[in-house]
Amino acid sequence: MKESKAPSLGRTPAQKFFDKWQGLFYLIPWIIGFVVFKAIPFGQSLYYSFTDMDFFNGIHQYGIMNYVDAFTTPKITKALITTFKYSFITVPLKLVFALFIAYILNFKIACVNVFRTVYYIPSILGGSVAIAVLWKAVFRDDGLVNTLIRMLTFGHFQGPSWLSDPGYALWIICFLRIWQFGSAMVLFLAALKGVPADLYEAATIDGAGKWKQFFSITVPMITPIIFYNLVTQICQAFQEFNGPFIITNGGPRGSTTLISILVYNYAFKSNQMGMASALAWIMFVIVCILTIIAFTSQKKWVYYSDER
Amino acid sequence: MSKAISRRDFLKVSGAVGAAGLLAACGGSSNTGSTATSTAASSAAASVAGLSSDPVTLTMSWWGGESRHNAYQEAIKAFSAEHSTITVNPTFAAWSGWEDTMSTKFAGGVAEDVCQINWNWLYNYSKSGQTFIDLNSVSDYLDLTQWDEAKLAACNVANAQQCVPVSMTGRIFYWNKTTFDKAGISFPTTLDELMAAGKTFQEKLGDDYYPLHLGAYDRMILMVFYLESKYGKDWADPTTSTLNYDADQIAEGIDFIKSLVDGHVIMSLPTYYGSNGDNAAHQSTEWITGKLAGCFEWDSSATKYADALDEENKAGFTVGEEIKFGDYNGGFSKVSMGLAITKTCEHPAEAATLINFLLNEEKGASIMGSECGIPASKAGLAAAQAAGAVKELVAEANGKVMAFVSNQLDPLFESNDLKATGTGIYQEVFDTLDYDNASGADLVDTLLDGMESVGYSV
Repeated sequence: MKESKAPSLGRTPAQKFFDKWQGLFYLIPWIIGFVVFKAIPFGQSLYYSFTDMDFFNGIHQYGIMNYVDAFTTPKITKALITTFKYSFITVPLKLVFALFIAYILNFKIACVNVFRTVYYIPSILGGSVAIAVLWKAVFRDDGLVNTLIRMLTFGHFQGPSWLSDPGYALWIICFLRIWQFGSAMVLFLAALKGVPADLYEAATIDGAGKWKQFFSITVPMITPIIFYNLVTQICQAFQEFNGPFIITNGGPRGSTTLISILVYNYAFKSNQMGMASALAWIMFVIVCILTIIAFTSQKKWVYYSDER
Repeated sequence: MSKAISRRDFLKVSGAVGAAGLLAACGGSSNTGSTATSTAASSAAASVAGLSSDPVTLTMSWWGGESRHNAYQEAIKAFSAEHSTITVNPTFAAWSGWEDTMSTKFAGGVAEDVCQINWNWLYNYSKSGQTFIDLNSVSDYLDLTQWDEAKLAACNVANAQQCVPVSMTGRIFYWNKTTFDKAGISFPTTLDELMAAGKTFQEKLGDDYYPLHLGAYDRMILMVFYLESKYGKDWADPTTSTLNYDADQIAEGIDFIKSLVDGHVIMSLPTYYGSNGDNAAHQSTEWITGKLAGCFEWDSSATKYADALDEENKAGFTVGEEIKFGDYNGGFSKVSMGLAITKTCEHPAEAATLINFLLNEEKGASIMGSECGIPASKAGLAAAQAAGAVKELVAEANGKVMAFVSNQLDPLFESNDLKATGTGIYQEVFDTLDYDNASGADLVDTLLDGMESVGYSV
């Protein structure tokens, strides 16, 4: 721990001790919370994942049976694939969309602050139960979207069954997540503002067009934020729960059953805490691997201006 | 020593901490609740202290609709007026998600002192008597003689009277006369009439009108009703849960449900999900406006379904007759719900007094009326009837069910893994039937495997 630079002359031993450890003292509430609500459950869940822990029957068996079952049970492997699909659809689209809107909002246009606020609102509301319920209403067979489709086609075309057709349902869930691009957008906006204007001036003098400037100056300069957004969005996407749980409850026919929903079902519907923990750990390992890949690859594509 | 943190370092650290923090939540928290519960509990079961003269606070939980919430709260108020030293703090909500919440509370030993429970919870969450006390230990405060022996026996698990039945229930048809009148036909009382109603509805009212609605779990219950009616035997042995039907017979039952879909008697599940997701039927626009003109529901649910109808349709809500699909009377009755005292309750005598007030005493029972079904307690029923608090609809439905059904239900039938909305085997079977246009023979193995996994002998 770094020592305090406060003058130590004439201070009592207790004061010196406090000076030295006061940083840690202020952190105690957070540390207690982290240990009790994160670290201990984290360790416990690892232990349970190697047992057949059941809420009401306790533990009778130890081993890797949950992990074996996880990769041999069709319902679980299907959920794993669906989770990958969900993440690989939502993360890139959300980043592209957030960057696109941030780029537009970086221009000096009238009422830009109003637009920034409006575009950020879905991020505040988007993960809420109320919005998930609203989403359900908007995409039901006779909901807003299909009503609009009917109106625009003068009643000749009835939109699809968004929520009951397994081919569409996952996209509806993805769309909800992509719509919540505000937080990523704000970070991109901050990064865009940090790109030195003289780079653009020099490029303009050299005859570079807007597209050339965007891909050769803007994108490289904001790669640290792209990287940061990528890692956090991957983590969040793999943990998505509210949307599919409330809108489709994992259906129709399991088409929106993500691993997080299976974790919930095993833990709280079937009381199989061992299997639920194993699935959580599988998800954790997958996210870790993707994060490591992202960190490893950053040497090739992330540019830090403070590097020499 | 001082070293500036580079942007790369900051991003690395914040990314790693963010990833760890976010994922830590996945692990979830749990405990070996059964151990804690059973330790705290044995003391309560062994000997029960008498009523305390000091102020006591009890907690109580139930699920239900608005009218049940109001009845319970009013009854609790009346109880507290009579027992000024006892305060009751209620927790209540709708059924959706309630079992998940309560099972977690039972496991964690933090459930309310008095709980309204489903009958099969005794087997799922207190199979060895680890969650609820033996009510015989509080019989000084709860008059157990008010229940028939058979009804009490249904709630005796692990040699302990773990709950008292609030009411008995079974399934019956409800019809919307307003819509049937529009179609120009009377309510079906035979299978042929039911099938003919589907055709008439489609021809006269249009594709979006159906004489009956069945969700996935309702389809399973009607399928069992059909098979019992045809073959005259319980679905499974009520004590050993050994299935009494072979694969061919079950396939025939599934095909019966398929014939209802094909005959436009019931809406296909994909069509229903498209408009309503997994919402219950009484919350659907189609039910409220009369496009779904019938349902096959618990007798205790009569008012819920009647109240949901719009003004045009409300007056047409009618309790139908049971339909005999074969040579026998199909269908089963079961304990609708019970009241139990958890082993973590510190004041079991007061909790028993509360249950006695709600179910047996004149004041409580007359307030509760038929909000939880027709009272199973003799004194409670008499009090509710004397007060005119038994709703005619519920009484009529219950009377018809009890006079007709002849089979018993085994406790595994309602296992969460089988009947849960969205994840249960019953839904998987009937979803596949509609989505894939499958046949009974295609699906019988899925059903049997699922049943076997929850403990059935098939």
